[in-house]
Amino acid sequence: MESIGNLLLGFSVALTPGNLFWCFVGVFLGTVVGILPGLGPAATIAMLLPLTFKMDHTAAIIMLAGIYYGSKYGGSTTSILLNVPGESASVVTCLDGYQMARQGRAGPALGIAAIASFVAGTVGVIGLMLIAPPVARFALRFGPPEYFALMALGLTMVVFLAGKSMIKGLLALFVGLWLAGVGTDLFTAESRFTFGQMELLDGIDFVIVSIGIFAVAEVMVNMESRGGTELFKVPKGIRNLMPTLKDLKDCRFAFLNGSVIGFLIGVLPGAGSTIASFLSYGAEKAFSRHPEKFGTGVIEGVAAPEGANNSETGGALVPLLTLGIPGSNATAILLAALILWGIKPGPLLIQDNPGMFWGLVTSMYVGNVMLLVLNLPLVPLFAQILRVPYFVLYPGILGISIVGVYSISNSLFDVWLLGLFGLLGYAMRKLDFPAAPLVLGMVLGDGLERALRQSLMMSEGHLSVLVTRPLSTTMICLALAILIMPLVNKVRFFRLKAMEQDV
Amino acid sequence: MKRTGSYLLLVKLSFLLWAIGGFVNAVAFEPTKPIEAVVHTGPGGGSDIFARAIAELMQKEKIIAQRLQVVNKSGGGSAVAMSYLAEKKGDTHTIGFFTGVWVTNPLTTTAAKVTIGDLTPIVRLVLEPAVFAVKADSPYKTMKDFIDAAKKNPNQLKQSGGSVTGRDNLVRLVIQKATGVKWVYVSFPSGGERIANLLGGHVQAMVIEPQEAGEHIKAGNMRVIAALTEKRLPSFPEVPTLKEQGVDVPVIPQARGILAPPAVPNDVVRYWDGIFDRFAKTGSWKQYLEQNQFEDGFLRGAALNKFFGDLTVQMREVLNEAGVKVVR
Repeated sequence: MESIGNLLLGFSVALTPGNLFWCFVGVFLGTVVGILPGLGPAATIAMLLPLTFKMDHTAAIIMLAGIYYGSKYGGSTTSILLNVPGESASVVTCLDGYQMARQGRAGPALGIAAIASFVAGTVGVIGLMLIAPPVARFALRFGPPEYFALMALGLTMVVFLAGKSMIKGLLALFVGLWLAGVGTDLFTAESRFTFGQMELLDGIDFVIVSIGIFAVAEVMVNMESRGGTELFKVPKGIRNLMPTLKDLKDCRFAFLNGSVIGFLIGVLPGAGSTIASFLSYGAEKAFSRHPEKFGTGVIEGVAAPEGANNSETGGALVPLLTLGIPGSNATAILLAALILWGIKPGPLLIQDNPGMFWGLVTSMYVGNVMLLVLNLPLVPLFAQILRVPYFVLYPGILGISIVGVYSISNSLFDVWLLGLFGLLGYAMRKLDFPAAPLVLGMVLGDGLERALRQSLMMSEGHLSVLVTRPLSTTMICLALAILIMPLVNKVRFFRLKAMEQDV
Repeated sequence: MKRTGSYLLLVKLSFLLWAIGGFVNAVAFEPTKPIEAVVHTGPGGGSDIFARAIAELMQKEKIIAQRLQVVNKSGGGSAVAMSYLAEKKGDTHTIGFFTGVWVTNPLTTTAAKVTIGDLTPIVRLVLEPAVFAVKADSPYKTMKDFIDAAKKNPNQLKQSGGSVTGRDNLVRLVIQKATGVKWVYVSFPSGGERIANLLGGHVQAMVIEPQEAGEHIKAGNMRVIAALTEKRLPSFPEVPTLKEQGVDVPVIPQARGILAPPAVPNDVVRYWDGIFDRFAKTGSWKQYLEQNQFEDGFLRGAALNKFFGDLTVQMREVLNEAGVKVVR
């Protein structure tokens, strides 16, 4: 077994004291970066690059990768506790995680996020080791029409996110799609909806919108109730702060679902972990026995997306390993680091530097264990944050949100945008519009439009290209099925009602 | 005694020299705090990595006493970074890292009001060469094969690349104009997607940097059919240039370098001249160029001004012909 040999080689590299130390530094920094909203892993890796010039290259790449997957652990913390998405990939975690926190189940939510991250993160690394070449070949079959179909499939997740009114859900989705269209058009270099504002030329950062309509709106809604001095319940005793066995059992499908979807999406260079977490949330709800409870604080709703965004890390390294193509932003920066150190990244990277590569892969096993050990004891500690009285907590949330948004590109304009989207989120809450579809639209809008226009450029304007390729046809059929299902159910419901009346 | 006298004279003389030196030093500009190095990409973008590498190499070679602090002003192509520099008019502790985008972006974007002519050019450091690549099992062995195929089936062949104002597309436009054939350009924002679409057979060609192409060729995935440079590339001695293959088109340069805010004092410009003179001769810099397979593009003063001027005219023409709206 070649992979066993590689694994042993990897462990011999990853388990040296020096590399263990740097692995810990990486995952620790990653956790911190993940907790801080705004500052993302890609920016952190780039800023630390100069420090790595003097380091051993293997140790450096182990540390930088640690920041990358470590941040996925930390990202859930503020999502669950404060409704502030710490990373773009943890937006979905807000939906059920924050509701759990409100019900006094912050501990189990944080715990399950760490456990799901660990399980799926490890599965992702195993996938990377065992099935990378065939999966990468499969990923190459994804051209623009396939990406369009995938994004369309993603859009149908609105069915699972809309809540009570599908019309309101769709409206929110379209606003999100429109917001994604703001900025400079990649194909014609023309500015769209920028109103002459230079700051809008690059589009609106998705993190600003999500922090605005989740966190800022939440603070505003809560400030309304003047008598609102009642704190979140934080149960005493460590046992109540950890997920129970029943919780784990409830999540067993979510672990699997998150792992598989996250890994597969990660392999595709044109998708990302945010899409992975939305898809796995949708899948979890679609196959759940109690789909109506999603959004009110069910633990699977935390486990599935958190798993997906960690498994994505392993997946994103697949194209890097087999083809020398970065699978995501952060892996692109890892590649750049290699070039700066004088190592030629590319399809032969592993052949030429087996020690480094397998050391990196096995360090990810070790790092995931470290992250679990690091994060689980922090759960009771973090849960205490909710004991802070409101007059301290809410200004604190606002402060974190503002600093986080400002740190994305050091722009005050972004802070004004945050306020604007806070107001929008508040209005949406008052009018009972769901926020998640808007965020979904923003995440997918760009890729959806791009893939469609790329497809049409390739086919000289014939839409048939979308349904004549087997992969895209399959996904589009699946998307249609998801859209039609609720209608069928509705018709059946009315028929039953009519039959009852007849009788 | 005599000896002591001449000694004394020597001491006096050297003291005088030292005093003059000190006087001269006091006049010449010397930075007193970290230098802000403005880049137009976020952390991890091409310009950002380039700037951080330069900062690191300068420190390693002890070229500069103060740190270069990279400041990311991303947004609007290069518009945010350029207007930030324009606002820093006369500032002695700020420089910017330009690329070709700094020339094309103001041409196509109404909101990008600052042009490269408004800023103070310091030095052009590198020219990034490029090659025209196809998949390894593709039937096109030369540029002629590709052009013939495009002639036979207009708009059937596809090329993956970045933004329409990027070099990859400009190369296509000048070749199309020279040969009269047409093929399709499909934009992908990330480099990974561009390569994935070529290897997956969704597009037939792409423009790629030699360093990256080299690795894919070694792995047996790719073939290079033309060098998009004046002379053949040292890393691909067997690949002829476009001109050698009978496609007589201007080379579209992809340059990187340094400029300063508008109206900085002359002694600051002289200071940077001296710094980059020394820097461009260091071993670390030579090694960096070689590792990345960049061309040494060292150019400054009037020649650099002419380069910007010529490039602006060339870009305006190419973009106009391509139907991209040119606003200034």
